[in-house]
Amino acid sequence: MEKQELAPHVAEISRVLGNKVSEEQIAKELDTYLNLYRVSLETAKRSVVRKLGGDPNALSKGVQKKLSELAGAEQSVDLLVKVLSANRKDIEQNGEVKTLIYGLMADESGSMAYTAWDADRFQLERGQVLLVRNAYTKEWNGKPQLNLGTRATIETQPQDAVKLPEGMDVPIYGPTTAKVSDLQEGMNSVTITVKVLQVETRKIETQEGPKTVYSGTVADETGRVQFSSWHDFNLIKDEVVQIRGGYVRSWRGIPQLNFGERADVQRVKGHFPADVDLSKPRPRSIGELEMVGGAYDVVVAGVVVDVKKGSGLIQRCPQCNRLVQNKLCRLHGKVEGQYDLRIKAVVDDGAGAITAVLNKEITEALVGITLEQAIKDAREAMDPEVVKEKVEERLLAKPIEVRGNVISDDYGLMMIVSEARMFVPEVRGEAANLLSELEGSQ
Amino acid sequence: MIGREVAWRVFAAEYNSSRLEIKGEGERAPSYIVSPLGAMVNRVFLVGVLTDLDNIGTGDEPLWRGRLQDPTGNFYISSGQYQPEATAALSKIEPPAFVAVVGKTRTYSPEEGTMYVSIRPERVRIVEARERDHWVLETCKATLRRIEAVADAKEMAAPTVDELVKLGHSPLLAEGVVKALAHYQDVDLGRYRAMVVDALKFLLPEYQSEIEAEMPAETSQRPEEIEDEEAAEAADEEKEDKVLTIITKLDKAGKGAPWDEIVDEVKRMGMDKTALEEVTNSLLDKGLIYEPVLGRMKRI
Repeated sequence: MEKQELAPHVAEISRVLGNKVSEEQIAKELDTYLNLYRVSLETAKRSVVRKLGGDPNALSKGVQKKLSELAGAEQSVDLLVKVLSANRKDIEQNGEVKTLIYGLMADESGSMAYTAWDADRFQLERGQVLLVRNAYTKEWNGKPQLNLGTRATIETQPQDAVKLPEGMDVPIYGPTTAKVSDLQEGMNSVTITVKVLQVETRKIETQEGPKTVYSGTVADETGRVQFSSWHDFNLIKDEVVQIRGGYVRSWRGIPQLNFGERADVQRVKGHFPADVDLSKPRPRSIGELEMVGGAYDVVVAGVVVDVKKGSGLIQRCPQCNRLVQNKLCRLHGKVEGQYDLRIKAVVDDGAGAITAVLNKEITEALVGITLEQAIKDAREAMDPEVVKEKVEERLLAKPIEVRGNVISDDYGLMMIVSEARMFVPEVRGEAANLLSELEGSQ
Repeated sequence: MIGREVAWRVFAAEYNSSRLEIKGEGERAPSYIVSPLGAMVNRVFLVGVLTDLDNIGTGDEPLWRGRLQDPTGNFYISSGQYQPEATAALSKIEPPAFVAVVGKTRTYSPEEGTMYVSIRPERVRIVEARERDHWVLETCKATLRRIEAVADAKEMAAPTVDELVKLGHSPLLAEGVVKALAHYQDVDLGRYRAMVVDALKFLLPEYQSEIEAEMPAETSQRPEEIEDEEAAEAADEEKEDKVLTIITKLDKAGKGAPWDEIVDEVKRMGMDKTALEEVTNSLLDKGLIYEPVLGRMKRI
């Protein structure tokens, strides 16, 4: 155990001993038990306290409980849990920016939202199994919420220490061989074979001086993904490489492939993959995208099942480009809004739903109306809603294909559309094929 | 992340056979109905022929009730003042018409143990035959995916969501299939496969003559004067309920209830053979019963 990790335990022992023994001495004793005799942390702490003349029972008043047993005002409780999610968030506290981690933890009895108030001390990661000591709960929105504050400590436990009910568990990523469409936030030790579509270098300033980042796009037959590397692997456009030891982090749900100097990059010979044009985005199921949380440059096809409010003719603030409602900008108050056209359409393929945002140019082409005409129509009808009705007339209940980056927010998946087209599906050919397959198998 | 509920593609015969409802607990938690093939439906998208449409409300407080037919049966829709967009759209439609509906599931239980499903539209749109054909094809594909998932689950001693996901089924479907298998005894996959085959033939002109004979019949009558929508549903479905109970009672060996015995049984409650035929036709339409062999009726 590192010194930094020991600090809270040293502080606790010091408290038990009435602050009569120097922390330095406690740390030394604890270090001996842990790193020389290699006893468990709990035994080590009890032994140190006893040795230095304190009462080991005064240690960690926390009682180990299940999450379902927790009330809204636990003072100090120990838990054996698995981290289902760990999100980092910057907050400002007393004028200082501080990072905290929040998410869900679970055990056999259920799950609970938690906040760990110090991201440096609690390096929580999705999938970890932990013994949490001295946590406390507070009620929030009528439900108890778990808090890891200054007194709390965590100890990593073996994976099988917590068995979660079916369906609740998070996938654990060991070394995996993956295709681009499999890539998902949190994956480590990924082996993947891809073609380099584009690569560029950027110089950025870091605390240790200027560094070069190598970034761009790679692809296989399942899709494309953006990558970045801190190490120069001398990647060249159009070559095919196998990367071992990559990891995946995502930005607003879009998975990104990262690999550093510990990764291994090998050139692969031969055509790859021979029959697929990698310069085009790959079609994906929306249900699949919901599972991974986002994607870079994909195509989805579905039916427009709703055209949301704020579609059609809208007004934007000339200063910040935000939506102007009732002549008011949220930031700049009363402003003279500038007209714009856009569509927020819900595209649904029966497996999932996504909100597709279409800008003025795409809206104009798809609906067959110009911004000027839309303004004129709205003035004549004295109601901007006529433009939305026209959009619905053209889109609602019709098949559509949209291309773009898929991100996720609190309300689900969203695509910033770069290309869109209504399409007339070919039904008979596919029906005949399906029928002969079915009758052949009977 | 609270994603939007997906709009399921489900044929009327499968949808109407649903007898399991999962009510959301707590505020704003969604409710689902679970079909025999494991579709966990909160929202649907369907395209069919609107054959009947009546405003059984008033001008100020409209309540539109309609029937939408697909190649396997009828969907029942109702839309009132709380669905302003759908209600306004319906008021402008003259049946028959190809109509697309995005809507939420609705259940009605006249008594413990029985459940009828209908649809409360969110959006309604007149479309063309090609949109309907596209929907039929997509729904065939979705139904086949569900049949496959149920077949996989039936192979397992104790089907679990994780095992089904490992076989490539989506987590949502896997969850529905596990729930469906626990609730419905022995789902007849052959019947649903045959239904998909018929629906595919419906799309292909070379099978047109064969299909017409099998199209669902327009039998069930709606009473003219009704006080409110629940009474309307109850009046029509009270008889169906009784007949369903009788069929269940007479189905002793699990091979279906013999027709002659059903006729005898309903006579005692004052229903004649013609009335019984009307009721059983309607039940067949809704996919509540089927005829495993000629002369026997069985609940689904």
